[in-house]
Order: sequence, then structure tokens, then C-alpha cells
Amino acid sequence: MSQLDLLDEIDQQPDPSAKRGLGGGPIMLLAGVVVFLAVIGIALVRQNQDQPTTGLAPDFTITTFDGEVFTLSEQRGKIVILNFWASWCGPCHEEAPALQRLAERYQDRVVFLGVTHVDEPDDSKAFIERYGITYANAEDPRDDITKRLYRITGVPETFVIAPDGSVAQFFFAAINETELAALFDQLLETAAT
Amino acid sequence: MIAEIGLIALGLTFAAAIYAIFASVVGQRLHQDRLIDSGRNAALLTFPLLLIAAFALLAALLTQQYQIAYVWQVSDPNTPMFYRITALWGSQQGSLLFWSVLMSAFAFVALLVNGRKNRTLMPYFTAYTMAVLVFFIAITLFMENPFDRFWITPDLTADSGVPAYTLIPPDATAPSPALLASTARGLNPLLRHFGMIIHPPMLYLGFVGFVIPFAFAMSALASGDLSSAWIKATRRWTLIAWLFLSLGLLLGGRWAYDVLGWGGYWGWDPVENAAFLPWLIGTAFLHSVMIQEKRGMLKTWNMFLVIFTFSAVIFGTFATRSGLVESVHSFAQSEIGMPMFFFWSSITLVSVTLTLWRWRQGKLRDDHHFAGILSRESLFVLNNVVFIALTLAIFWGSFGAPILSELLTGTEITLGVDYFNAVTVPLFAVLYILMGIAPLSAWGATSAIRMGRSIITPLVLTGAALIGAFLLGASSPGALFGYGVVLFAGFVALYETYRGVLARRRAHHENFATALLALFGRNRRRYGGFIVHLGITVIGIGVIGSTLFQVETQRTLLVGETIDVDGYALTYNGLLSGQVTGDGRIMTIAQVSLARDGQALAELRPRTDFYPEARGINSQIIAGVHSTLENDVYVLISGFETINGVEGATGTFKIYINPLINLVWWGGLILILGTLISSAPAETVTAADRSRLRTARARPQMGSAMESPA
Amino acid sequence: MNSLRRISLRPIPFRPVLALIVILFFLRTLNVPMRVCAQDAAIDGVISYDEVNAVAKELYCPVCPNELLSDCQTQACIQWKTEISDQLAVGQSPQQIIDSFVRRYGDRVAHVPQDPFLRALSLVTPFAVALVALIIGARTFLRWGRLARRSPIAADAKHDISANPIDNDYRARLERDLEN
Repeated sequence: MSQLDLLDEIDQQPDPSAKRGLGGGPIMLLAGVVVFLAVIGIALVRQNQDQPTTGLAPDFTITTFDGEVFTLSEQRGKIVILNFWASWCGPCHEEAPALQRLAERYQDRVVFLGVTHVDEPDDSKAFIERYGITYANAEDPRDDITKRLYRITGVPETFVIAPDGSVAQFFFAAINETELAALFDQLLETAAT
Repeated sequence: MIAEIGLIALGLTFAAAIYAIFASVVGQRLHQDRLIDSGRNAALLTFPLLLIAAFALLAALLTQQYQIAYVWQVSDPNTPMFYRITALWGSQQGSLLFWSVLMSAFAFVALLVNGRKNRTLMPYFTAYTMAVLVFFIAITLFMENPFDRFWITPDLTADSGVPAYTLIPPDATAPSPALLASTARGLNPLLRHFGMIIHPPMLYLGFVGFVIPFAFAMSALASGDLSSAWIKATRRWTLIAWLFLSLGLLLGGRWAYDVLGWGGYWGWDPVENAAFLPWLIGTAFLHSVMIQEKRGMLKTWNMFLVIFTFSAVIFGTFATRSGLVESVHSFAQSEIGMPMFFFWSSITLVSVTLTLWRWRQGKLRDDHHFAGILSRESLFVLNNVVFIALTLAIFWGSFGAPILSELLTGTEITLGVDYFNAVTVPLFAVLYILMGIAPLSAWGATSAIRMGRSIITPLVLTGAALIGAFLLGASSPGALFGYGVVLFAGFVALYETYRGVLARRRAHHENFATALLALFGRNRRRYGGFIVHLGITVIGIGVIGSTLFQVETQRTLLVGETIDVDGYALTYNGLLSGQVTGDGRIMTIAQVSLARDGQALAELRPRTDFYPEARGINSQIIAGVHSTLENDVYVLISGFETINGVEGATGTFKIYINPLINLVWWGGLILILGTLISSAPAETVTAADRSRLRTARARPQMGSAMESPA
Repeated sequence: MNSLRRISLRPIPFRPVLALIVILFFLRTLNVPMRVCAQDAAIDGVISYDEVNAVAKELYCPVCPNELLSDCQTQACIQWKTEISDQLAVGQSPQQIIDSFVRRYGDRVAHVPQDPFLRALSLVTPFAVALVALIIGARTFLRWGRLARRSPIAADAKHDISANPIDNDYRARLERDLEN
């Protein structure tokens, strides 16, 4: 140690009234910091929760544009395809005809439901008319299903739900008609056995 | 080959840093100088090793090795050389590596400079800097590795894309280079701007620079040496880090103004704010340490300030990279969020606990006590309080309220521009007032009368300037008040400098210029500081002008039509579409003529750039701008129509007139100059004095109690 | 010249502190951000862009992160702005339009939450924290004032950490020795 460090040691006399441990005020400060950190941590965990790609698909009830009430759990025993879309989203326009074709092909065997995300009902209905969509569609204005249950990050996103209610497959972008058809066939086969 | 070099360099750095931590701490505890030196050498070694890793990645980018996933992600065969280099920090993995390089560079220089000084502090300093480095290397090496490569494995079933591995999987083959090159993603169009070369590096230098003061503070706490040694060691580092951070923020604003196309430079976006928070606490720290140096006070304050500055730095990078909040800045959501959160929590908790422990031990006692509310110490404490209030208010708006709202009620809320303006404007006003009166106060006590006397001249000057402003059109009370406080701070800085020059002239009979230079030479901190304050004043004037007096309009024009906006005549002269540039962009350029009072001023060319190859964001709107000191005329294309096959028969434009906005950038330059002056090493002893001392030392001193150490 | 040397050792008086608090609150209410917009007069009854933007500026884009609706250039935003224009044309007031957007897309599209509980939570908390901080600060100042009165010597205006000027010279020489 250099002589300067000795000088510095003399400089700082430890206070004779030094206390042991931490007192009341500091404990509260520490507690405050811990609470603050915990809140951010919880928020992070919630934020990072992704779309449900496995396990039971979150149940919900929604009213379609035709006025019908749709409850997911009542579809148990059937394959359900849940497609999130919006009229202002380019890829949604691209996949709409494919979805309609599949809906016609797998009529009565697969339940199709489209849910709009942040879309104007008039625009959604115009979209439906334009592509001649016959399957049920509904709007989710308060994002209860889109954000809270399925935690989608954009549109289009599609969930295929198996007859037992679990998520069979999650498509992050526009669907591929052949792939989806193959998946349906596979699920139908498994269900039949 | 390149990837292997990079990986090995990274791995060795990781090992060296871990070793450095243990060697330094154990060596210090057992008083083994050799172990301490060994640890120090290991720490020094991390810098060249990381340079090798960085150069390896750069080489991969320049030689277009698309098998390396990062290169594939941020470049394509069309990318110009300039952007290929800046792509080094263009995405998550590269920017993490870049961050680590800069951090080890700072540690390297700090270790060398403090080679033989501060022997009690340096081992812990090494340990702390290396601990932070270890964390960042770890997440780079094990989670977001820039050297991951694409490999085709025999059991590959995925049809979408070839996965990337860090280590070579068994029986793997490299994918075809041609295929990789043709599908390469290319740099995000928003990043293809000149600012890309300096904004991230400056910002990172600013963030990373604060590791050094933090590490010194922590080593003071750990070693128990809580004298001013750590403060003296860090003063210049703090200034340098602060300089880079200020630069980074200004450049970010400039970039947003140039490229994002909304006529402004600061949007109170959460990630912008996350970078602003360390600047705010850092500025408070910068000022507050002066008190500890001069009067031995505010020791606990300074500890907390430096800890929270660094905590804010880590929080900022954590918030940006973890997807905690949505922002145009956010990197793609990744899995490093949780590790970063734990790192941030740990350093915050550990440092706060250590500080509280030392405080209870009585080691952070102040040497003096407060003398009065107008003393410089009290004003500096008020300064600290206002900066912290600003930090908390901005944090609450960007993070606190939205997060709490989502947690407690599940509703997403936004606190927008209105909230931030309402909350920060009064606090900034108080800061400017403080900037004015604090230099006029004295250490110890100042009576109100004495301060009153010093204030008169700056106040009179401010009044005169305000009359001028009023005559030039600034008539609202809010604007006048704003200009008033800002100008007051500036005039105090100018006046104090002038008084200093006068005093020198009287004492040394020098002419004005010599006196001015000598004044700066002798007391760089004080007068450099005044220049920085002057810069902040100029920025303040620019901000008030461009915010309160902005004129904005959106119009549709036929070809040949002229409109009048705030005295300017804008004529739309047609559209040039399909202009292809070297890097594959397709530009659509509108031609707009600008004139005033019948005189032609400029030909503006606002345009939209379309990147056909890019995925995700593939277009950009670039404004046509005419810049003068008085204002900016800023024109954006909002849309155009094709009538009868004529493209651009009508054009819709968004036009902004931004008064005084260039003062923001000029003020920034003044700020840089002031900081450089402040941080320049001062000649404490002239050459003549030094030689006198040397000869004096050669003769044995009578009565000196301690021998000079060898 | 005695008045200049006498150091004021009164505890921090309430009046300046109170004045400061009053000034701060006054400043908060004074904030008048004036935007001087060139209002384009409605042409042939058609709603001008500026009128639409005046409303759009009060809203955030429901899908883009942290972007004002007036600045957002995506297809969706343009559709929303067209809708605002239509609504203005049928005589809806700006506030009504903002309210309808909030009803449809939630509080996050407004600058400040419209829901009263959330609004209170967001805006009152910073003030509440500031008040608590002020109280703690005032008490600390009072305590320092008491300490200063008790030990007037400590409050002397000294200008260096080491009280002894000889030590400083010696230190400086030692430092130089170590460096050479």
C-alpha cells in the first residue's frame, strides 16, 4: 500500500456511533426496491407469454356477425380452426380464398371460425362479402380473445384445435392450403381410430 | 474458419474474464500481489480477444459468408460496403458483441491508466468490470451467438428454413452458398441511414462508459475505502460517458427527424426514454460529485446516483431487448429477457445493500453540514432532486403506469405526449432556473442580498432579449416564460465568463483574447462547464421554438399549383418515379420548389424509397428539407394520384415549418465542445515548477516525517 | 464588510420552501403548449386534411407501437383517418370521435386513459410520490439545520477535503514522485 493510502485512512475516521446491521429506513428502501423489481419481473413474464401452441386451447364465447353464439368448448369432438384476421392486413387477403375453399371441402368435418382483430365491422363484412366467405366470423373489439387468451402478436395467425380441445398446430403467418389440408386429414384419421 | 476463430476468441474471453474476477478478489483478500496482477492481466487480455471476435464477424460480413446466420440476417449481396460495416451492430447478436467490445475497451484503458494508483480499489474494480462483462459474454456465447451457422443435418424434417447451430452437428453439411445468398434478408431499411454509423456506437459508448464509475463506486464500497479516491478516479470517465450518451441521444433525434418522417425528433417512445433516464441521473451525478470533491458532502447521494445511473443503463438495454414494452426500436423478442432481468435485479439489489451497509457503518458520513438554502450545496441537492423527479416521472409514463395498469386491471393504457409535456416542462424550467442561480451562489452560505447583486446583469440581459423575442413574434406568456428561463441560464454562463476575463485582465494586464484563453486553460472545469450550459441553453431555445411555434399542414396539389404556408410559396412540379439506385431501392421523387417573397429558395425533393427485396418494413419516407438558422421547411410525400395515366398528377404533401430547430443541433455541438474542454487534462504543474521541485527533492529534506517511497 | 462574512445559520425557513412549492404547482398549470396550425378552410364542404389530423393527433394508432394516428402511414391508419373524415363530415365533434375510438379500441389509443380509475392512478401517482419526497426532503433539511446550529464550526466554509493545506502540497509531491 502506498503512503497516500495511509493518508486516506487517517482521513476517514469511522464514526464511533456506527450501528450494526440495517435499520428501519434502509430496510424500507430495500423493501421498496425489491417490490419494484418484482413488479417489473412479473410484467416481463406476462409479456413474454407466447401464443398457446400446446395444451388445452383457451375457452371462450363469442357472438358472430350473424348473431349466433359460439363457445369453443361446445365444439369438443370436432376439429376447430381458429383464424385471426383483419381487413387491412395484406396476407389475410391472400389466404382468404384458400380458407374458403378448405371450408367448403371440409364442411361438416371441420369447424371454421374467423375472429377479427382491431377491425371495423363494416370493413370486415365487406371483406367477407368480397371473398364469399360462408363460415362464421366474429369481431373481438376489446381484444379479450386475441390479446388476453391467445396472445397473438399480429395477423394473420391461425390455431388448429384437435377434437380433444388441445392445440394441434399454430400457424404464425398466412396458411398454406396443402399443408392445412394434410393436417386436417391426419387429425380426422386419428379421430376415426 | 472465420466462425471458428470468432467462437474460440469469445470462449477464451469468457474464461479470462471469470479468471480475472476470482484472481482479483482472492488476491485482494489474501494480499497476494501476484494473484492480483495476474487477474489484472487476464482482464486486460479480454480486450484484444474481443477485438479478434469482432473483426472475425466484420470479416464474415465483408466477405459475405451467408452460412453464418447473422450475416444472412443483416446483409444481402446488394448491400453497399458502408452498410455492411454498420451491420456489425445492426441486429441483436452483433450489437451484443459490439457492446462487449466497447466495455472491455473501457476497462482496458481504465486498468492501464490506474496502473499504480488506487491500489486498494483496483482489484475490486477489475472484479466488477469483469463481472458485468462475463454476463454479456455469457448471453452472447450461449444464447445469441453471432457465429451460429446454418447446417443441413440428415434427420432434418423442417421444411421452412435450415436451422442454425453454434457447434457443428454430426453428419452436417453446409447449405449451398448460392441459395443462402439469394435468400439473405438484408439490412432493415430504417437502418440504412448515415446515422447508423454513429448513433448506436455513440449510444453504446455512453452506456458502457458508465460501467467505469459504477465499478469504482462498487470497489470503494467493497474495499471500505470511501474517501474521495474513487470520485477522483472516475471524474473524467463520467464526463466521457456523459458526452457519448448526450451525443447518442442527439444523433438519435436527428436520425428520427431525417428518416422517420413525422417532422419531429423526440417522440417520448419508451425506448427513447429508456436511453434518456441514465442521461438524467448521470447528469445529476456529474454535478453532485463536485460537492463531494469540494466539500466532502453528499457521499450517500453520490453512491446512490452512480448506482442508479448504471442500473438505468442496464434497465435500458434490458427493456429494449426483452420486449418489456412495445416500441419501434425493440429488437425482435428473444429469450434473453429473463437473464437480463435477473442480472439487472442482482446488481441493483447488491449495490443498494452494500451502500446501505456502509452507510450504517458510518463510513459515508459527510465532512460538513449544510449552511443555508442558497448555498451551492443546497442548490445542488435541489438539482439532484429535480433530475430524479424527471427520471421518475418519465419512467412512470413509459413503464410504470402502463405496466401497473396491465397487471392490476388488464387494460392497456398509454401515457402520451400530453402527459410528458405536462410533467417535464415545469421540471425543465426549474432546472434552467437552477442553471442560472447555482453558478452565482457560493460554497457555504450565500445571503440572498449577495446573490441578488450578481443576478442583476443577467436578468437585465434576459429582459432585453425577451423584448426582442416579443417583437419577433413570440407573444404568448408560455413562450416568453420558457425563453426567459432558458436565456437567463445562458446569460449567467456568458456573464460569469466575462467577469472572469475582466478579473484576469485586471490582475495580469492581458488583452481580452489572451485572458480568455488563460481563463479556460487555468480552470477548464468551470468554464468548460459554462460552455456546456450555453449549449443546453441553445438547445432549449431550439426546442421551445420548434415545439411551440411549429406550423403543420397537409394539402393536395395539382402539378404546377402553388400554395402559401406561413409566408412560403411551395409549388409542386411533378413526380419522378421508378428511379432505381445502386442498392436496389426504387425511389419515387416529388419535385417541389420553395420560394419566399418572390425569391426562389430551394428545390426540395421529398421521396419514398421502396425496397423490393426486404421483408418486414420495406419502404421509407424521406423528407425534402430546406434548413436555415431561422427554421426548417420540411416536406413529406403523403400520397399521389395517377390521372389519365399521368403518375403524380396530384400530390398530397405534409408540410412542416419548424422554427429554430437547427439550434438544437448547433447547441449539441456547443455542448460537445464544452465537454471536451472540461475533460481535457489540466496542467497542474508548469514545467518550470516541476524542474524546481526535482532539484529541491535531490537535497535531503529536514524534518519530513515520511520517506519518499521508492 | 461583516455582513459578508457572517454565515446564515438559520434552519431552512419554511417561507422559501413554500414559495418554491407554490411556484412548482403554478408552473404545472401554466403549461400551454400552443400549436399554431395552418387551418385549411374546408373546400366545398369537404373536410380538410388538417381538420382530420387535428383529431388524429389526439389518438394513437391501435396497431402500431407508440405512433400517433396522424403520423402513421400504414393502410390501416389511412382507413381510420378516412373514417374520421367521414365522421367530421356528418357533424360529429372531435371529442365524440375520440370517444368512439376509445370505446372500440380501448384506453391505449388515447393520450391519457379515459377510464376514471386508471386516469387517477396514472396522473395522481407522480404527484403523490412528489409530495412524499418533498415531505421527506423538508424534514431532512430541518434536521440538517438543527445539526448546523448545534455545531457551528462544522458549517464553516472550507474549500478542500483535507483541512490542512500543507497536506495537499505534500500529497501533490508524493503523487508526482509515484508517477516518475
